[in-house]
Amino acid sequence: MKMIKAIIRPNKVDEVKDALSALNIAGMTVTEVRGHGKQKGHTAIYRGKEYNVSLLPKMEIEVVVPDVLADDAIKAIVTAARTGEIGDGRVFVMPVLESHRIRTGEKEA
Amino acid sequence: MSFPPSASGADAVPATAGGARAVLDAARAELRADTLRGAGGRAALERYSDRVDALLRQIYAAAGEPPSPVAVLALGGYGRRHLCLYSDIDLLILFSRSIYPAEERFLRGLLHPLWDLGVVVGHQVRELDDFRTLETDNPEFLLALLDARPVAGARELFDRFNDVFHTAATHAFILRSLLQLIDERHGKFNSTLYQLEPDVKEAPGALRDLSATRVIALLTDPLLLRRGPADPARFDDAEDFLLRVRSTLHLEGARNQNVLSHEQQERAAEMLVYPGAEPRIRVERLMSDYFRHARIVSRSLEWARKTAPVPVGPNLGLSRDGIRFLDPVQAARNPPAWLAAFQAAIDHQTDVAEETLSCIQQHVDRYRADDFFPQPADRAAVLQLLKPRPGLYDRLSEMHDCGLLGRVFPEFQAISWRVVRDFYHKYTVDEHTLLAIRNLERLGTTEDSSRQRFRSILTGLPAPELLVLALLLHDVGKWRDDDHALESVRMAEQVVARLQLSPEQRDIVLFLIRDHLKMSLVAFRRDTEDPDVVAQFARAIGTEERLKLLCLMTLVDVEAVSPETLTSWKEELLWRLYVDAYNHLTQRYGDELIERNQAGLDELLASPPADLTAAEITAFLEGLPQRYLQLFTRDAIHRHVRLARDIKSDEIHISLEPNEGVWTLAVVTLDKPFLFSNICGVLASFGMNILRGHALTNPNGLVLDVFQFTDDERFLALNADAQKQVRRVLEDVVSGRSEVTARLRGREQGVLKTASRFAPVVRADNEASGRYTIVDIVASNALGLLYRISRVISQHGCEVDLVLIATEGEKAIDVFHITKAGVKLTQAEQQALTSDLQRTLEGTA
Repeated sequence: MKMIKAIIRPNKVDEVKDALSALNIAGMTVTEVRGHGKQKGHTAIYRGKEYNVSLLPKMEIEVVVPDVLADDAIKAIVTAARTGEIGDGRVFVMPVLESHRIRTGEKEA
Repeated sequence: MSFPPSASGADAVPATAGGARAVLDAARAELRADTLRGAGGRAALERYSDRVDALLRQIYAAAGEPPSPVAVLALGGYGRRHLCLYSDIDLLILFSRSIYPAEERFLRGLLHPLWDLGVVVGHQVRELDDFRTLETDNPEFLLALLDARPVAGARELFDRFNDVFHTAATHAFILRSLLQLIDERHGKFNSTLYQLEPDVKEAPGALRDLSATRVIALLTDPLLLRRGPADPARFDDAEDFLLRVRSTLHLEGARNQNVLSHEQQERAAEMLVYPGAEPRIRVERLMSDYFRHARIVSRSLEWARKTAPVPVGPNLGLSRDGIRFLDPVQAARNPPAWLAAFQAAIDHQTDVAEETLSCIQQHVDRYRADDFFPQPADRAAVLQLLKPRPGLYDRLSEMHDCGLLGRVFPEFQAISWRVVRDFYHKYTVDEHTLLAIRNLERLGTTEDSSRQRFRSILTGLPAPELLVLALLLHDVGKWRDDDHALESVRMAEQVVARLQLSPEQRDIVLFLIRDHLKMSLVAFRRDTEDPDVVAQFARAIGTEERLKLLCLMTLVDVEAVSPETLTSWKEELLWRLYVDAYNHLTQRYGDELIERNQAGLDELLASPPADLTAAEITAFLEGLPQRYLQLFTRDAIHRHVRLARDIKSDEIHISLEPNEGVWTLAVVTLDKPFLFSNICGVLASFGMNILRGHALTNPNGLVLDVFQFTDDERFLALNADAQKQVRRVLEDVVSGRSEVTARLRGREQGVLKTASRFAPVVRADNEASGRYTIVDIVASNALGLLYRISRVISQHGCEVDLVLIATEGEKAIDVFHITKAGVKLTQAEQQALTSDLQRTLEGTA
């Protein structure tokens, strides 16, 4: 299993969700986060005064998928979340050792 | 009215003098006999007062027909029918019109016979109109007027007097004065009622305190004494006792004397038939009775002073449990007063008393929405009530609970306890709505540092009550299950019509309701990094004012969904969209010009007024920023087209109109250097304080400046030909016949030079607009500010093409779109200009 953690633009959440659903990946965690990558935010000006918006609002989507689905899922996320501009985000992939379903105690390797 | 001299008072009196004497003597004999029996109390005094009334009516009749309606009113103790044997007969002779010789003759005919009879008359003569201003220097007289009772003459005049005299303001003044008079009087008696030789009129616990207690109740809560420390019957007994004692003093002293001296105590005890073998015992019994009664009076007065509601409006009092109707029966018939009760509660930061809420609840079903605001003042009061201030949510909730809110806004009733199941909302629709209003109210006073940016938007809003009205109605369409925003708009249109809002107010409210989801949709679901997304959003909103309102509406609406919905993450997204859209609206609008065949023009051009053609309107509009179409109503646009007609160089066409204390000046002329600064200078020279405005220029050099300003020195209000003068001075200055600097010289030393109260902000930007250098200025608002700024800009050889003028309280926010020789300024030119502007604003130039 792989955990895929994608930091994406807030407005892309619905498209990413739809793309993952199309792969029958339904379970996911969505979190409002703030941060910056290379984009490093920018300076906005309001009424002649500058104010820094270095931490930009982003969405973080976490899904855990079987190894065989991982590549498709990553591809789906990247395609759905891409605008081509700076600030489109990142996808991280991590191995998952095991997972336990709390309701049943069932273990998945 | 004719007035035969033969019937004048002076002639008529002798015929009745003997009769009058006999009547008075008989009345006095009767009161003496009563007093001697120890029965000179209330009943006897009322009888005596009635006989004096009859005597007065007799003399009044004998004085002949008055030349104009007149009323003779008994005042003070006589008005209360407690006239004692040697009391002054206090009268008000009230004329319906100015007092002419004929009135004076009548007056003599009335008073001379009284003087001849040897009675002491305390008379006041007034015209009805005298009571339109309060005689604040004579509080005793005002107090006596509360007891005014018609004795003779025109009853109708007495009714008119009551209407004029009995106002909330007068009552409040009298009450304040009374409390002061009581303290002063008590001071003379060392503030104790236990006097060995008490003055039965003046001493603490004596007759004056007794009537003061009644007056406090009358002015605050007529039912007050029923809840007092003493049974009302015992209070009445005390009065009867004190009057009986006073009667003995008048009889014995044969004059208006009221001190129960040791000597008089023996006589009084005798007359009042106190048992006891010795005078000492009889006196002790009398005095013990006296102190017992005086104590009841004294306690009642103290209790009334502590408990009486403070009058805070017509029929409204502030008591310990909140705002109460002083007379619930009257209030039940007057539904606009109900809203006033809630307003008073907000004003005084208190509740509406439970009893008052029950009264409203009991009667609310009898009234329809229109009954709550029949008059323009009542409709204005509804909007006033909706201003976001601490307590608004609590009051609206009380109004909702007692059924009033749903009666005033039946549309709101439709969502009462309405449950809409979705993944987000945690409350019923009505409560969600009220919570959104609470959030706005709290935003106004929040100290939370992350909220200050939103708070400052709220503080700067000229009419935040429209936002509250929109919030109140934004979800009313949820009574149905489909697209609620449109249904809310449909229902809100009814409210707006009932409240008779102005077209501008109506547009704002309906816009906010229709688009209340738009900003959250774009902020949270669209790519706001895309300039096109922002531009499209900004265009749809149209003006900064609407953007500000919608931004706050979105904030408080999302916050009211559930405690978790509005995260700081969402706040950030909302703020960023706000800033981007704001910048777009203030800095980029100069790039988007009206073109022939532009969408939206058709509607404007369809059926133009008779004196304008579609071609003329198009010619005027072409090349103005598109924003113009969103800023002005159809009528205003037509007015501007007319002003632009046949305009020639050095000519200036203006229209000047007042609207609720704010004047709108539209100026059309052809562009030339220093034009904008000259116009602003002229307005400053008349002391006019510019609040908002737009300066627009089309590519052919046609200039349209629209200013909204307040006439702080009341020049326009006080001078009949003021408009003409403003026009003439503008023409002279614009054509160069006179210098605006000369006109301003007198003011230069004063206001114009006042330094900014906070550090001014000046910033030039070449990126935001494709055509202009944008100069953003935020500074302390001051008379002549725009003149000074724009003069510096012109002195730098720049053309002022577009200007946005706004004020938020003390703050002036101005955005200039400028060019130099037709192009943007170079870096060096920008630097030189902004430094100069900075120095000017800091007062160091």
